[in-house]
Amino acid sequence: MKNVLSKITDIVSDPYAFVGSVREQTGKKVIGCFPMHVPEELVHAAGMLPVVIWRSNEAVTWGHAHVPAYDCGITRSFVDDAVRGKLPFMDGMVFHVRQCLQAGEFPYIMERNVKPAYQKNLYLPALYPGEAIKDFTITELDVFKTSLEEFSGNKITDEKLKESFEIYNLNRSLLERVYEIRREKPEILKAKEMMQIVWSSMLMPKEDHNKILTELISKMEAKEVIPDKTRIRVIPVGGLCQTIQPDILDLIEDLGMIIPDDDLYVGSRYFANKVSLDGDPIDALAKRYLTKSPLCPTKGVWDIHWGDEAIKKMNDNNARGIISIMIKYCPPHACYYPDFKSKMDKEGINEIMIQVEHEIISLESVKTRLQTFVEILGGV
Amino acid sequence: MGIKYKVNRLETTNEIRPLVDKHWEELRTAKDRGEKVAWASGPTFIFAYAMGMKCHFMAGYSAYCGGIGAGEEVLKVAEMTGDLPESCSYHRLHMGMAEAVARDIPINPQAILPMPDLMVAGRLCPEMSHYAEGLNRRFGIRVLPVDLPSVYNIEDAPRIREFVYRQFKETVIPTVEDVCGKPFDYDRMSEILSVLKKVATLRNQCWEYFKEKPSRWTLWDYGVSIAPVFYMMGNPAGITYYEKLLKELQDRKKNNIPAIAPDGEKYRLYWDGWLPWAFLGKFMRKFTPHGAVCICGRYPWEFFPNPELIDPENPVESWADLYYGNGQLIHHFSPRGTVDLIGNLIEDYSIDGLLMFSSKTCRIMNLSQPDIIDTLDKKYGVPGVIVEGDMIDPAMISDSQIETRLEALYEMIDSRRK
Repeated sequence: MKNVLSKITDIVSDPYAFVGSVREQTGKKVIGCFPMHVPEELVHAAGMLPVVIWRSNEAVTWGHAHVPAYDCGITRSFVDDAVRGKLPFMDGMVFHVRQCLQAGEFPYIMERNVKPAYQKNLYLPALYPGEAIKDFTITELDVFKTSLEEFSGNKITDEKLKESFEIYNLNRSLLERVYEIRREKPEILKAKEMMQIVWSSMLMPKEDHNKILTELISKMEAKEVIPDKTRIRVIPVGGLCQTIQPDILDLIEDLGMIIPDDDLYVGSRYFANKVSLDGDPIDALAKRYLTKSPLCPTKGVWDIHWGDEAIKKMNDNNARGIISIMIKYCPPHACYYPDFKSKMDKEGINEIMIQVEHEIISLESVKTRLQTFVEILGGV
Repeated sequence: MGIKYKVNRLETTNEIRPLVDKHWEELRTAKDRGEKVAWASGPTFIFAYAMGMKCHFMAGYSAYCGGIGAGEEVLKVAEMTGDLPESCSYHRLHMGMAEAVARDIPINPQAILPMPDLMVAGRLCPEMSHYAEGLNRRFGIRVLPVDLPSVYNIEDAPRIREFVYRQFKETVIPTVEDVCGKPFDYDRMSEILSVLKKVATLRNQCWEYFKEKPSRWTLWDYGVSIAPVFYMMGNPAGITYYEKLLKELQDRKKNNIPAIAPDGEKYRLYWDGWLPWAFLGKFMRKFTPHGAVCICGRYPWEFFPNPELIDPENPVESWADLYYGNGQLIHHFSPRGTVDLIGNLIEDYSIDGLLMFSSKTCRIMNLSQPDIIDTLDKKYGVPGVIVEGDMIDPAMISDSQIETRLEALYEMIDSRRK
């Protein structure tokens, strides 16, 4: 198990070198897909390597000549990486420009300063009622498919697309199995290791990741873990679009809490919902996008409540509290949060929100808040 | 000794406040008369107007709140009831106002609106959806959501136009019919567009007086005159207002009266982004002593710059076309469209410098501003600076930052004149 985790740590420690090396070895074009809703399966079916765009571990420097300091971490960090020339292996970039306003920063900055060989903007709609929404989603996916075919020179047949669905669905099933084992034996993985496992799925060819996961699962199943009943179970919620600083996840655990499950983007949200293999494949991709749960505040959903989903997850895992992790300057999360908080108060759920930034933050203040929280939960 | 500049105030603009007050007063008292009330974001209120509903407009209400000095106290209520200061200040204003009503927290009575029978949530930006979702979750208000994508590549516009038009026909019209209990009034929508066409045509004639050197009026004068070409659309009082304004500008030209005394402006500036509704006076006091004047801007030019394209005979089709068809208004929200628009304005209005207002809580018009400045500087030789702030929230405004950036802009313009 240690060896598999070590391999994963190597990959996420330097995603630039890793993705570049895969490109070199496979000869495949690399397409950076901005999180969270670009359907990677289409890129895969075109014979290219989709990778989910990531936040670097360096402070933003040149990027601030292009975007303000009050944009979110991944926006500033990705622009910084791009204009500093750190992404020469990225042949193409795809942005869902309707996800939030900041996603609209990229198209002009990239085409002017970086000039990737392929650049595509998606206008996926909010999940509003009406046939027009469904039809437009299908239209957008069709347009995306055609542009990928033109760039790659490969026809995306229904068969190829369904093959990609199978590979991606398998990855989702395997990640779900990893989560299932963690739910049974939360001590088996540290929270940051779990995040790295999901993150590596965003960077690796899914076929390779499936092999790694298969090996990891067999080791996890075989491993015996002594349960630590003193630890307080909590569920982290949020972390939209980007990785959380590992130090923060460590801090949660160092303070006597344990994470049996999560509702994070670089976590359970990434692999939620499979694509149906029945019927027209573009319709199936549209159906997955149009699925309302897990609720994403970028999608314009109000007839189900994010708070209800989080409480269910908390109860299903016998957890005692929820830690909202909000990325600083994430308007969809910030606008939703007051209602999330109200729901927690109304239902008598212990919840705390911590805001995280791209740059090194004051861990001391986060620690104080989390210490208070764990005391409220009855620990320490 | 330097020139002492001062603003020659227009008389006609004094008449806008009573018109605007009346508009909001009628909205505030609508329920007393048994009228239906809607709130709207994005260019969707016209459908409520066509049905005889009294309707608010998200940015218009926010501008009004800022203009009457109520912004800060309403924002405080929002913060007290859980909203984060980094959230869109228009979003916070609405949540704050609704919470003030629900919890009986005293605020300026002029800032209070009746809770709507329907929220027409035009999702031009996601925040315009977030506030409707929030109001639905908190107060159970019925929401009519419409997705209104901004268009980055103009070649994407036709398919998006069809998507938006379908939503108008399949969702918006049936829902307002349901709420009002009567068929959609296409004739009234046509009348509204006819009046709008006349007002926008007169307004364009007024715009010609920005082209003169010295300019006969300022962007701030036009800013306070926007209501008749937007949320007051369909009100014939707008025609009278702009006829009078045009007459005053004609007189100014005849008598050689500039907007800035004694002899006109030294710097002709373009203003990008929202107008800073709560801080118009503050900015004016920073421009005028330097002889600087804002002449044109992206947001104020959004209101139907091509009235000849308004087709009252085909109201719903025309409304979709103005934004996504031949009018292409929606394209100006994307950096590519912005570059095209500003480039034209630089040439048409002889602009010396660009002032890019970057709102810390609303990014809809902030996108790629540093790159836009660079592109335009290289093409037209016109320098620009970014001024950070907010439309409404005084906590986001720094006097010294604004002054430093403005001085840098004036110096850049001066150095290029040598």
